[in-house]
Amino acid sequence: MINKIVKNQIFIPIAAMLFLLLFNLVTDPTFFKIAMGQNSAGNPVLSGPLITILNNGSELAILAIGMTLVTAASGGQDISVGAAIAIAGSTILRVLCGTNTRPDTLRTPIFVAFIIGCLVAMAFGAFNGVLVSIFKIQPMVATLILYTAGRSIAAWINNNELPIISDPRFGYYGGFIPGIPIPTPFFIAALCVVIIALVLKFTNLGLYTQAVGINESSSRLNGINPVFIKWLTFVILGACVAVAALIKVSRLSSINYSVIAKDIEMDAILAVALGGNALGGGKFNMAASIIGAFVIQTLTTTLFMHNVPSDALPAYKAIVVIALVVFSAPVFRDAVSKFMKNLKNGKKKEVANV
Amino acid sequence: MSKKILIIVLTISLVMMMAGCSLIESGPVSSFDMESESETESEEDLIVVGFSQVGAESDWRKANTESMLSTFTKEKGYELIYEDAQQKQQNQITAIRTFIQREVDYIVLAPVTEDGWDTVLSEAKEAQIPVIIVDRMVNVEDPELFECWVGSDFELEGRKVCEWIRAYLEYKEIPAEEVNIVDIQGTLGASSQIGRTRGLKDAVRANGWNLLEEAAGEYTQAKGREVTSRLLRKYDNINVVYCENDNEAFGAIEAIEASGRRVGSNISRGQIMVVSFDGVSDQAIEYARKGKISCIGECNPLHGPRVEKIIRDLEEGRTPDKYEYVDENVFSGDISITSINLDETVYTVTILGK
Amino acid sequence: MSKLSNKFKDMTDTNLLLTITIVVFFLMYIGAIVFQGKGFLKPQTFFNILNANAALIILSCGMSTVMIAGGIDISVGGMTALVTMCCAVYLDPTRGGAVANMDPNSGSVAVSMLIAVLIGLAYGLVQGFLVAYLDIQPFIVSLAGMFFARGMTTIVNTNPFNVANEKFVALKETRIIVPGMGTVNKLGKYVDAYVEIGVVVALIVVIVMFCLLRWTKLGRSFYAVGGNKQSALMLGINVKHTKFMSHIICSLLAGIGGYVYFLHVGSGAVTHAQGAEMNAIASSIIGGTMLTGGVGNIIGTFFGVLSLSTIQNIVASAGLDQAWWTGITIAAMLCIFLVVQSVVMARKKSAVKK
Repeated sequence: MINKIVKNQIFIPIAAMLFLLLFNLVTDPTFFKIAMGQNSAGNPVLSGPLITILNNGSELAILAIGMTLVTAASGGQDISVGAAIAIAGSTILRVLCGTNTRPDTLRTPIFVAFIIGCLVAMAFGAFNGVLVSIFKIQPMVATLILYTAGRSIAAWINNNELPIISDPRFGYYGGFIPGIPIPTPFFIAALCVVIIALVLKFTNLGLYTQAVGINESSSRLNGINPVFIKWLTFVILGACVAVAALIKVSRLSSINYSVIAKDIEMDAILAVALGGNALGGGKFNMAASIIGAFVIQTLTTTLFMHNVPSDALPAYKAIVVIALVVFSAPVFRDAVSKFMKNLKNGKKKEVANV
Repeated sequence: MSKKILIIVLTISLVMMMAGCSLIESGPVSSFDMESESETESEEDLIVVGFSQVGAESDWRKANTESMLSTFTKEKGYELIYEDAQQKQQNQITAIRTFIQREVDYIVLAPVTEDGWDTVLSEAKEAQIPVIIVDRMVNVEDPELFECWVGSDFELEGRKVCEWIRAYLEYKEIPAEEVNIVDIQGTLGASSQIGRTRGLKDAVRANGWNLLEEAAGEYTQAKGREVTSRLLRKYDNINVVYCENDNEAFGAIEAIEASGRRVGSNISRGQIMVVSFDGVSDQAIEYARKGKISCIGECNPLHGPRVEKIIRDLEEGRTPDKYEYVDENVFSGDISITSINLDETVYTVTILGK
Repeated sequence: MSKLSNKFKDMTDTNLLLTITIVVFFLMYIGAIVFQGKGFLKPQTFFNILNANAALIILSCGMSTVMIAGGIDISVGGMTALVTMCCAVYLDPTRGGAVANMDPNSGSVAVSMLIAVLIGLAYGLVQGFLVAYLDIQPFIVSLAGMFFARGMTTIVNTNPFNVANEKFVALKETRIIVPGMGTVNKLGKYVDAYVEIGVVVALIVVIVMFCLLRWTKLGRSFYAVGGNKQSALMLGINVKHTKFMSHIICSLLAGIGGYVYFLHVGSGAVTHAQGAEMNAIASSIIGGTMLTGGVGNIIGTFFGVLSLSTIQNIVASAGLDQAWWTGITIAAMLCIFLVVQSVVMARKKSAVKK
């Protein structure tokens, strides 16, 4: 029974989450405090570390959805998501502001701006997808191109100016809708999760991506077009990027090209890895990835609560990643199970000797 | 196929030949002299100025760049070579070396940090190119390495703002020991950061305020927001946030409002007072007018005309002043304090009307 | 003609890609001389490119080695920053904030070099072990390595500072005059052309690595393992050990490259060598190293670095002032070379099949 639970993929992120929460319960119980306050507009809002996790973990969860699909189909990760968020965010602001960087009124409805941002992000996703699927370049190296150029392109879209949107409605997406004390990003993330759950349930997307990831040539023999599937996962990731970008720029009502979504690619990959998904492609578990994303955010918030400076954060996360990949490495697992067997056998022998 | 190969082979041989020629040409007494003669008619009368700018991290910086670009135009008889160093000293050193190689007439340097300029400035001196330092100071052993410096007295800016705080608190009869300040510092090592931090520290010592923590905000909005929200979680008694530029203040205000607190001068009523520097962007002035930022120490970015005057002086054989400070104001939306007194000098506070 | 085409077919992958690179470099440099004239005609401009990129050359040599063996290492940039900071804090503990009032001249330069090499060795051991013996994807391992290095650098010291150790500064300022390459500047003075010590180190590394890859058993086993693991196994090569060694060499070179970078800049900072890993990978790819492993040449890598920095120089001096252009051009170049590689290889494959 216990063995079964432990072997279930979703066990890993849940165990990690419980461990982190327990750690916080012991070291600093205020972690679980949730307060009802008012923001500057006089609307009721909930605040507290747990709310921060729900709030900031949302973008990560959305990205984890796309990243899981890309990982499963192509056996690699997209390292350009942070840069792509900068591009999509910059596009959204550009459409909203036009050439005036401090507009009093929005030039276009937010929805239209989002759709355009989405198209742009999907186009860049498609570009990555073409490099990976048609030119057969390793995903991480192919996305390196956009990683290098993305923030520059984002700056170029807005002529290196920093538009600021004063319309409070734009701030709802990354903040709070008046009257609802739960942060909006959480609802957006939940919506994305529901959509992807429906897609996976009612289409063959999940099956096909796994088939392509496990064995490309045999999936081709079974009538699946692996080139198209790989390309499609990158386009889907592009859409996820656009949603995350909307939340990110809405939080600031502005953009900072070099800092926005910095290092988020690391967190997104980490979320997928923490979800117990093989980074080499193949089978995946979407729910585990999404929980993984919130675990990562919990880790970040916990580290912040313990006064780890934000610049030093990567060092700690890196140790977690290495520990994770080492534990999930087949070689390591084999070695451990052999060791355990030897231990058991040894005990049995001892018993027999007695 | 074979045609393509022919083309490749031809290009290679052509390239090799040309490379060979160019190597021969560029001997000690190269054909360069001839070339410069041919250029005499067209470009000799333009004064070539190489400008190495720190980057585009804040509104102040952009206004500064814009001022330089609009001053040194072809119509006025200048050719400006502008290089953006993206916050890296290394890029600036490379840029200055490039300027020396291109034999510009003047080098204008807005240094990113104070230290580490001796070598490259002595190279410029060897090539007899006058170097004009703007904004931040350089810390070199031999002050003759640069021609002159134009910029702000950052420590004075800091002291002015602190004096405003002191006068205001006195006016409101708030005792000094109830003042809990956090300092959101700028890019560490920059003159403006050093001066403004020093101004604050002196005032803290003199007035008996509590300085809770100094944290680096890198002069960006995003970092200012991040650092402030961390500090707000850590201390619940913060009532003055001293931001070393406007962009950090924007971030800090967002963080404060997101945490459910209010910004404003009325700290006895639980508001958090935000003070900042620069006062360049419309948004900052607007915030000061609304009282979101209680006081802004101006930092004048319009260096272009001053630098041009220095170059004119040098061209005509006059020696400009070694250090030139620009005049700067203090802005506030609050009418309580109309003037402040520092070292027997009275500075009027510019009150921004509603 | 038919002879030529035969020759083309006989060309190894390595030589073909190498030829393309060298041709591109010369074309670009000549283009620069033709269009930019002035600066590029001087040998010193070329030497400045070498001076500024000596560290990158060393990093790229390591990167090529690990890529030839079928891996990748993106931690080299972070390691460079870590090395600069550790050495800087060792040489100048007072400014580094480690010890108060310590004589900056007490540290020995030789020990600082040892520190750099040891950091490289430690990194190589850990990463090599994880990649080779635990069979974890090199990208993930080195991604964690990169984040660890950057985070660790801030833990060592956050503030950027210049080292005042006299012995070190003397070494940093040492210039090696290149005879016969000087030019007469506009004042009629003869200026010697020079290179820094780092360039000599870089050239030695290039030569050593070239010999190692071409003529030693280890070097050839890199190609065998990167080209085809199965056949390498059949040839009796210890694949694990070979992979391990490739990481050791890469990290050691990153340590040395880090020290050369430190010698060039003379300061420790978290932001040092940001994006250096991307430049190193780009240089290797442009230099004809195949991502899939088994193909590559150190001479090509050397020219890859030169091409990359030449194009940066051209972009800078062409008056494309905005910083983003550099990022975009590098990415565009990378993209073109990747696609060319993939197309060339696809053709070769189909030619072999026929």
